[in-house]
Amino acid sequence: MARHIHVVKVHHLTLSFPTRKDPNPKPVLDDVDFGIRDGEILGLIGNSGSGKTMTSLAIAGLLPEGARITGGSIKFQGEDLLTMDPKARRKMLGSDIGMIFQEPSTALDPLMKVGKNLDEVLVVHGIKDPKQRRESIIKMMSTVGFVNPEEIYERYPHQLSGGQRQRVLIAGAALLAPKLLICDEPTSSLDTVTTVQILDLLKDLCRKLHMTILFISHDLSAVRNFCDRVMVMKDGKIIDKDTTSDILNNPKNAYTAELLTSARLDPRMLGIERAHVDYSSSPVLTAKGITAGYRDRGFGKSFENKVLKGVDLEIYPHEILGLIGSSGCGKTTLIRSLLGLLPHTGTATVSGKRTGAVFQDPVSCLNPAHTVKWHLNEALRVYEKKLTNEERMAKIIAALEEAGLNEDFLLRKPHQLSGGQRQRVAIAMCLIMNPGLIIADEPFSSLDASSSAEILKLLTDINRERGTSFLLVTHNIHIIRQIAPRVVVMHDGKICESGLTNEVLSNPKAPATIRLLDAETKLHGA
Amino acid sequence: MTGRQTALYVFRKVFELIATLLLVSLFTFLAFSVIPGDTARIMLGANATEEQVEALRTDLGLDKPLAVRYITWLGGAFTGDLGNSTQFRTGVAGLIASRLPVTLGMSILAFIMIVAISYPLAILSSRRPGKLADQICSVLGHVLFAIPPFVLSLLLILIFGSILKNFTIGNYVAPNVDFGIYLQSLLLPAFAIALPKIAMTFKFLRSSIIEQKASDYVATAKSHGLSDIKIMFRHILPNSNVSSITIISLVLSDILGGSLIVEQVFNLPGLGRLLLSAISQRDFPLLSGIVFYLALVTVLLYFAADIFSSLSDPRIRLS
Repeated sequence: MARHIHVVKVHHLTLSFPTRKDPNPKPVLDDVDFGIRDGEILGLIGNSGSGKTMTSLAIAGLLPEGARITGGSIKFQGEDLLTMDPKARRKMLGSDIGMIFQEPSTALDPLMKVGKNLDEVLVVHGIKDPKQRRESIIKMMSTVGFVNPEEIYERYPHQLSGGQRQRVLIAGAALLAPKLLICDEPTSSLDTVTTVQILDLLKDLCRKLHMTILFISHDLSAVRNFCDRVMVMKDGKIIDKDTTSDILNNPKNAYTAELLTSARLDPRMLGIERAHVDYSSSPVLTAKGITAGYRDRGFGKSFENKVLKGVDLEIYPHEILGLIGSSGCGKTTLIRSLLGLLPHTGTATVSGKRTGAVFQDPVSCLNPAHTVKWHLNEALRVYEKKLTNEERMAKIIAALEEAGLNEDFLLRKPHQLSGGQRQRVAIAMCLIMNPGLIIADEPFSSLDASSSAEILKLLTDINRERGTSFLLVTHNIHIIRQIAPRVVVMHDGKICESGLTNEVLSNPKAPATIRLLDAETKLHGA
Repeated sequence: MTGRQTALYVFRKVFELIATLLLVSLFTFLAFSVIPGDTARIMLGANATEEQVEALRTDLGLDKPLAVRYITWLGGAFTGDLGNSTQFRTGVAGLIASRLPVTLGMSILAFIMIVAISYPLAILSSRRPGKLADQICSVLGHVLFAIPPFVLSLLLILIFGSILKNFTIGNYVAPNVDFGIYLQSLLLPAFAIALPKIAMTFKFLRSSIIEQKASDYVATAKSHGLSDIKIMFRHILPNSNVSSITIISLVLSDILGGSLIVEQVFNLPGLGRLLLSAISQRDFPLLSGIVFYLALVTVLLYFAADIFSSLSDPRIRLS
C-alpha cells in the first residue's frame, strides 16, 4: 500500500439527523474538513455538543441510528470508507482503527474475565490459535504497564481500579497495532495522577506501535503536553486548527481565545470575588471521628472494610473548603457520610440551616420523567409544607433565576437541557431550601470548559451573596487554588494534610499531596 | 467465596427451606380445619348413623385436639409418610407420583415454549425499538397477558379441537404407553399456560436487552469489530440473563399454579384435579400432601434461581 501523508482525510463531511417531521435539520457536522497526519497526535477540543464525538464515530463507522451523512467523504489511507462494504468496514475496527472511551468502569463486560474481554478482538480478526492469542494479550498487557499480566488476565473487571481498567481497554484497542487510535475523552473520569500516567502510556504506545492518535477532550490542559496539533470545534464546524503551542499560547481565533479563558478559570476574568471568612465564629459543620466502611455480612462473623478511618472536619460560615485526594481515598464516602446517606460512626453536627448537595453527574441526579418545575417543587415540599401555590411558584422562580435560568425552563425535562443547565437545576434545588452548607462532589468534572467556568462563577456568587459555605470536592487543584481559602487533603481514608490553601499547595508536606501536585504540574505545566 | 462461606450459604438456604415448608404446612392445616364439612360424614355419606361416623372419626384420629393432630401428621411427614388419602384409601405419596407425569410434563413443555418463543421475539423486538415489528410484538403481548389461561384454553380447544380438528381434546395417554401421544395430549394445555407467560417474559427480556444495548461494554465490543449478532450472544444476552433469572424462576412457579386450572379445562388427570377433589372431599392428608409438594417445588426453584444468578455474576460470586 502506498504511504499516505494523511492516515485519515475527512473531506467536507456533513451529517445530520433527519426525521419525517424535519427532513432537513440543522447539520450536526457542517462541512468538516481535516486530515490526520501519519504518526501525529491530533487533539480535537470544543464544548459538549460541538460535534467532536460524532466526527470520531463517523470515522469509525459507528454512527448512531438515524444519523445520515449528506455530503463529503472520509478516506482511510486513501480508501473511501463511505462507499465501502459495511462488513469490510466493520473488520477494520480493532485491526486498523482502535477506540477507547470515556468511562472505563463500565466499558468491559462485567461477566467476562479481563483476558476474555480482550481475547475476542483477536478471535474476530481470525487468530485461531488460543495459545498465540493468550501470549499476545499478555505481552500487550505488560506493554501497557501491568507488572503482573498473567494475574490481571484472570481477573474480572470489577476487581480492577478505574486506571487499571483504562489500561486494559487501551491494551484491547492496541492489540492489533491499529494505524489509528481514537481516544474519546479517555481521561476525563480519572484523577490527575492516573490521567498523567495514561497520557504517558498513550504517547509511548504511539511511538512504539507507530500509531496515529485522534484525541478528543474538553480538557484543554490535557491537550497541552500531549498533542502535536489541535483543532477546535464549535456547532459542528472546525473553526480553528494549528499546532498545539500556537493554539494554546497564541490563539488567533476569538472563540478559541474564549475557550482558553474559561479553561484557565481565572478568577479575575470570571469576576470571582472571594468572601471574607471569619474563623473565630462557630463552624457550620463539625465532624468528629467519622468512620465508615462496607460490612461483609457472613453468617456469624461480620467484618468491616474501613474506607474512612476517623475523619475530623470543620467548615466555617462563608467558607469554601476544598477537599482533594486521588480516587479511592474516601472523598465520596466522606461526603456521603456527612450527608447521612451512609451508615457511619462518629458525629457530624450541622449548626442552624440545612445542608444541600450537588453531585458529579447531573444526568443521573434528575428524574428523566419529570419537569424542572416538578424537581424544584419536590425539593420545596420536603421543607416548606404550608405554602400557597403562588408562594410556591415565587420561590421556584426565584431559585431558578438565582441559578441563572428563567421561567422558560419550568416545563422542560432533563433531556431538553444541556449538561450545564442540568447542573444549574441541581443547584436551584439546593438553593430553594435555603441551605447553610452545600456539599459539591466534583460538580465540574462532567462539564465542558465553558460550562465549568459558568458553574464555578455561580457557586462563588452564591457563596459571597448568601454566605453559604461550601465543601468542594474536586480533582481539579487549579480550581481549589483559585477559590478555596482552606484545603483538606485526603489519603487512604484519613486527612493527611490541611491548612490554608496557599501554604499547603506551595509547601506540601504529606507524600500524597506532593504526588497530586507533581501530577498537576506535569499535566498543566508550571 | 471461600469454602466455609459457601457452606454457610447453603446451610442458610436449607434452613429457609425447612422454615418455609413448616409454615406452609401449618397454614394448610389451619385453613383446612376452619372450612366447614366433616371428613367422616362425607366419606360415609348421608345415610350413615351418628355412631358409625363417630367410630370413623376415632379411627381417623379426628377426635383428637387440633395441635395433637398437626404434630402427629408432621411427625409422619418428617419420616416421609404423608399418610393415606381418606377418599382413595391409598398412600398420598403414591397418588401424587401417579399424577405427576401430567403436571410435570405440561410444566416442562410450557417452560420450553416460553423460552423458545420469548427470547427470539425479544431479540427481534429490541433490534429497532419503537418500529413496526416491536409495536406488533408489544400489542400482541399486552393482549395475551390480559387473557386468563382458562379462557385461552377454551379458545385453543375451539380453534384446534373443533374448527381445525387436528387435536383430540382430553385423550390423555400415559408416557410409558405411548410417549408421542402423551406429548401431543399435553401440547395444547402447555401452550395455553405458556402464552401469557411468554408475553410477560418477552416484555421483561425486551427492556432488559434494550438497557444492556446502551451500555459501554457494547460500544467497546463494537470498536473491537464484533458483529451485532456476536455482541448479542456473547455480551448482551448473558448480561441480561443475570437479571432475567429471577423473573424466569417466578414464571416457572407460576406455571404450576396455571396448570391446576388448565388441567380442569382440558380434562387431564393431573395434580390440579387431584387437589380439587381433595378439597371437595375434605381429604386432608391428600390436600396437605399436594400443597406440601407444590411449596417444596416452588422453594427449590427459588433456591436454584438464587444459586444460579449468583454463580453467573462474578461481582456477586467473588465478593
